[in-house]
Amino acid sequence: MTASSHRFPLSRRRLLTGAASLGAGILAAPYVARADEPVLNITGWGGKWGDVMKAEIGPAFESEFKCKLKTDTALPFLPKLQASSRSAPVYDVLHTNSNEQWAAVEMGLVEPKIDPKLVPNIADVYPYAVSDKIVGVCIFTSAIGLGMRTDKGYGSVTSWKDYWDAKFNGARGGYVIPANSLGQAFVMMCGTLYGKGQTDLDAAYAALEKLKPIKLVDFTGAMEKLILSGEAGIGILHDSGIYRYDGQNQPVDFVTPSEGVLSLEQVLSITPGSKVKELANAYINYMLRPNVQKRLAETVWYSPANKQVKLDARYDAKLLTTPEKVGKLIQVDWKWYNAQKDEIDSRVNRIFRA
Amino acid sequence: MPATSAPRVNSLALLILPSALLFALFFFLPIGLMAVMSVLTGNPVVMPNVGFTTKHYARMGNDSYYLEVIWTTIRIGLWTTLAALVIGYPLAHWMARIRSRTGHALLLMAVLAPMLTGIVVRTFAWMTLLSDKGVINQILTSFGLITKPLQLMYNETGIIIGLVHIYVPFMVLTLTGVIGRIDERLEQAAENLGASPWRAFMEVTLPLSLPGILAGSLLVFALAISAYVTPILLGGFQIMTLPILIYQQISANFNVGFAAALGMVLLAISLILVIAYNHMLGLVSGQRGLQ
Repeated sequence: MTASSHRFPLSRRRLLTGAASLGAGILAAPYVARADEPVLNITGWGGKWGDVMKAEIGPAFESEFKCKLKTDTALPFLPKLQASSRSAPVYDVLHTNSNEQWAAVEMGLVEPKIDPKLVPNIADVYPYAVSDKIVGVCIFTSAIGLGMRTDKGYGSVTSWKDYWDAKFNGARGGYVIPANSLGQAFVMMCGTLYGKGQTDLDAAYAALEKLKPIKLVDFTGAMEKLILSGEAGIGILHDSGIYRYDGQNQPVDFVTPSEGVLSLEQVLSITPGSKVKELANAYINYMLRPNVQKRLAETVWYSPANKQVKLDARYDAKLLTTPEKVGKLIQVDWKWYNAQKDEIDSRVNRIFRA
Repeated sequence: MPATSAPRVNSLALLILPSALLFALFFFLPIGLMAVMSVLTGNPVVMPNVGFTTKHYARMGNDSYYLEVIWTTIRIGLWTTLAALVIGYPLAHWMARIRSRTGHALLLMAVLAPMLTGIVVRTFAWMTLLSDKGVINQILTSFGLITKPLQLMYNETGIIIGLVHIYVPFMVLTLTGVIGRIDERLEQAAENLGASPWRAFMEVTLPLSLPGILAGSLLVFALAISAYVTPILLGGFQIMTLPILIYQQISANFNVGFAAALGMVLLAISLILVIAYNHMLGLVSGQRGLQ
């Protein structure tokens, strides 16, 4: 044995063990360093919303509140929350449209309301954002109306009832009603247009029957593509789905029907079993901040719920930013709708089958 | 009393332990859980006071809509299987009997090439061909052959076209192996005895290839009735099949129990048809092992 091997007895086993420990240490270092940071699990959208959340809004929140924001953008969210433990839910803050929030609150998966004392920015939201039609708080809304092609010579469209015009037969875009909240809200609009009100389902079914032939899609993104490609000349769509092509020379326009626009709400709620409720409330308050609202509204063309937000003129002209414009919004009774959903699904699936 | 020696475990048997465990974990356990969920009032892991119920099955029995969906699913599966067999058999026969190695390799590549692309991409490709503004309708319109677009998709025909394209390779690859193992001298002997090539095929090759037809058909049928993406996209949500309904119940109605019951029905239908098909082919081919 040499003198040097006595001073530094490095065997192959020791070298491998050391290298493995070093490697594991390097890999684990970021996690160990962040072990004390609380994690806020939320849901969110992809696309431009996801991009700006990932690049700006999310990191700024993490930096200010010394936490980690973990966002799930893979739909559907509610079945995952449904399958997780009530005491350790997979999300702390649930972001969905209103219809799913009502289903979640019925199953006891989210808290029905947000405490304004813990979320001070709620004081600045329009009344619709915390109305009795809302679970949690609405942070943005879009107007559901009619999206249409402007290059097909269809003429003027001003009313929801124009959607039934025979000139749109074969060029009419609609939704898979069981799976899409715009389609579900439209069912209630049919009851209002042709019957005694939102809950007049017989009138709604009769009206839906007259929409055939119709092309059905499941998401608003697919409806946008249907209209942009010319496969559909008219379709039920939220204003954001048309305004996002502003300045791109697309032959499309959004029609605000004279009977009013349906409200498509972006809603946040907190899960009862969340272990970081303070952080969850801070996140909702943060999302209602005027500067955060302005950045997101001008990125995705959503109307901010905070009435203190001042948008640039281009956005202000089109989005719902005054009490008068907000007054056109029609909120639907999702609690009632969800209670009838099985029956409605069964019926509309029959109506629209080929 | 002589001491009895402890039964010795065959060391080779241990080799199948991992696959047996894997099978139990990812096949029997999920199906078992699905069967249990289909007769419960809720999820016992997250809900208190969960009881047994037959309401999910009763709902299917009480509403003819669900029976119509089941029949639509089976019909699409049967047509897809039949079309895949009609297209796939001659191709598989050609591949099995071709003398040229290059020719065999080219045919194999032609069969496998579509499988290198994802199902979603292939279905979207069909949509660009079959939609109202698609390639086929545009060409026919430009030649003045039609004034209104043909309804090539948003119906069962469109779904079957898409599914056949996706599943023909499964049929061909299954059949090629079986036909390749049939001794050609049997056909030659039949022809020497005076049978025409067609009769030799019908009375020798076809019956001997029945196990391949059975295996390929079962594979394609099982894949077709459980397909989700292609029926959704090419059916335009206007053709409801069981997988679409199951997904709808989970993602939009949050009714896991009913979705599980629908899944059990799909499984039961598959098993019944597999047994019946097996029995029928056994009778036709005279192979008692199949009965």
